[in-house]
Amino acid sequence: MKPLMQPARTGDGRNVLPELGTLSGEGAQQRVTRLDAGHPEQRVAAGPEPVPAEAASYYGQPVLKEPVWRWYIPAYFYVGGVSGAAAVLGAAADLLGRDGTRALSRRCRLIAAGGAGASAALLIADLGRPSRFLNMLRVFRPTSPMNVGTWILSGFGAATAAAAGAALLPGGRGRDRAGDLAAAAAGLCGLGLTGYTGVLIANTAVPLWQGTRRALPVLFSSSGAAAAAALLELFPPGDRSELVVRRFGVLAQATELAMTAVLEAEAGVVPRVARPLRTGFSGTLWRAGQLLSLSSLALSLSARRPLRRIAGACGTAGAIALRFAIYQAGRRSARDPLATFEQQRRGHGAADVISRQPALDRALGEKGAEAPATSTLHEPGSAHP
Amino acid sequence: MPGNLPRDYQLTAGEAQALEARAGRQEAGPQQMGFFTDSTLCIGCKACEVACKQWNQLPDDGFRLTAMSYDNTGHLGASTWRHVAFVEREERLPGQGSPRDGVEAGARAFGPLRPSGQPGTTSLLADQVDPSHIATPVALGPTERAMGKFSWLLLSDVCKHCERAGCLEACPTGAIIRTEFGSVYVQPDVCNGCGYCVSACPFGVVDRREDDGRAWKCTLCYDRLEGGMVPACAKACPTASIQFGPIDELRQRAARRVEQLHSRGVPEARLYGESAASQPGTAGLRAFFLICDEPEVYNLPPDPVVPTKKIADSWWAMAAGIAGLGLAAAGAVLSARRRMT
Repeated sequence: MKPLMQPARTGDGRNVLPELGTLSGEGAQQRVTRLDAGHPEQRVAAGPEPVPAEAASYYGQPVLKEPVWRWYIPAYFYVGGVSGAAAVLGAAADLLGRDGTRALSRRCRLIAAGGAGASAALLIADLGRPSRFLNMLRVFRPTSPMNVGTWILSGFGAATAAAAGAALLPGGRGRDRAGDLAAAAAGLCGLGLTGYTGVLIANTAVPLWQGTRRALPVLFSSSGAAAAAALLELFPPGDRSELVVRRFGVLAQATELAMTAVLEAEAGVVPRVARPLRTGFSGTLWRAGQLLSLSSLALSLSARRPLRRIAGACGTAGAIALRFAIYQAGRRSARDPLATFEQQRRGHGAADVISRQPALDRALGEKGAEAPATSTLHEPGSAHP
Repeated sequence: MPGNLPRDYQLTAGEAQALEARAGRQEAGPQQMGFFTDSTLCIGCKACEVACKQWNQLPDDGFRLTAMSYDNTGHLGASTWRHVAFVEREERLPGQGSPRDGVEAGARAFGPLRPSGQPGTTSLLADQVDPSHIATPVALGPTERAMGKFSWLLLSDVCKHCERAGCLEACPTGAIIRTEFGSVYVQPDVCNGCGYCVSACPFGVVDRREDDGRAWKCTLCYDRLEGGMVPACAKACPTASIQFGPIDELRQRAARRVEQLHSRGVPEARLYGESAASQPGTAGLRAFFLICDEPEVYNLPPDPVVPTKKIADSWWAMAAGIAGLGLAAAGAVLSARRRMT
């Protein structure tokens, strides 16, 4: 049969017969195993948000694309937070503690190094093209928190590996000193590691994450610290550092709980944006996380060992639940067109940065930028002239 | 009527100038290209979608029905770089309405074409009949009444090629670049599929194809531009709804078109994202639109912002948070030291 007579079905949705045409277009290299559906891919286990009939929207379709990340990423938020905070506590124990914190520092170094390895594995596994993970280090780009975070994680990985190596391998004074130096470096990187993930998800168009951009990094770093303390309660280092872990844990957990309330308040400025934290599966997960953290805080005040173990388990579960709740709720808010519309109509789109720009203009010394009538800018409910 | 339109930014001329200057248009070369999509001219033929798929050799969408008017494309995605939105409204659009309006318009248009020296017309309409009195042969009843309050809004949506692009600023690998034409381009051989651009785009344009693993979006036909050609969609558009050209020229043309529409009784006509002054969140779009209703109706965000504009808040909060964490760790160790020794 002549090529022209063949039905041009190749199964990749392009229907270009190789004998008759070449695939050289801009999209020709796009690998296709399954054809696209008409609707945006639903990546979250939740129905569409109810859209009231009077609200303007395009058939209730999402404006934004839902985050494509799988469970690896919220899992990484937990693992990275724990290992970062463990490195910080370990470095503090190395620098400031005396002999009583040897075992704690050793335990922290091992947690940090193991966590760094697991973090890298989780992040690489989530890439669409895992073999190209090194491309992350092609550039240094301060506008991209993901790029900054990759550099932080790389430094963290190297430093924690060195610190853990020094703790595990036999050696003398020089080795100890090098190990302490590496642990201090790991502590510095660890500080960044606990917080940058909050900045990373805040730097998106997802209404919930963008709307809570101030609370997220603080919640993530305090929750990382709480999770690290919980892990150390579960597997105590077994020296006289018990009190260190307990004080660190109580402080971190109290901050974590306070930050969940701050985050809810920051999101609640636009009720539709806060909806996923209050309803559905993500809302339940969020409340469960809060409850677990609260019970962990209450139990960890006790001096009895079995109760402290339970506190550690609750704290770990709570920290994990909070990360997954934030993640799930963010996805839901991205799927909800009204969350985006309402947020921007209420002056929390570009308006809340633009209204601050006159000061910026003055700071930059730009001529011609007079004081604008920003008081009338984007006032909710005001009729436009 | 809801306020707070993007156009409500009451900027003085000086501020607008400062914004434009910051957007860097002044220094831009003469080759800065873009799209002006005039929704009032769109007839919903989807030739742009087809031309885009064909030229770029993108896979089809699986030929499924979405039950959203005549829009079975649904959304912009990894393999859909033009998407015609079909908005059905129970409202009249000036210049569009009941079938009778069409008959009247036809009579007006073809009246002067009557062949001279002939008693009759070549039109089916008898010249003695005042077009406004034409009765439809069969009473349309409820349908006609319904059609009297019905109109389409059609818009061919595309990547906006923002002056400050969320995807580009978020991309951790440098795979997303700005080309010499001012468009935003994803290099498929560099992209490692981290998916960050997908969440960073305030318009929901760029998407990661799961079976491919990389992010894809409109390239403004980079390959065609390199060859001195017009992008496939603009070339295929039969009504000049999609206009391609130097961005400054397009902006002038768009301003004239809005004036023209206003004078013709379409006061709703407005531009979306044509300049940094009207859409400071993105510093203006390279592919901007003329629309006839609130942006939400077309699934366009009313006041989009590139996330990076707000991120300083987040870095400062993080600095405070990690300072607290460091202090807490040091404090815990120091306070317990006395008890341990």
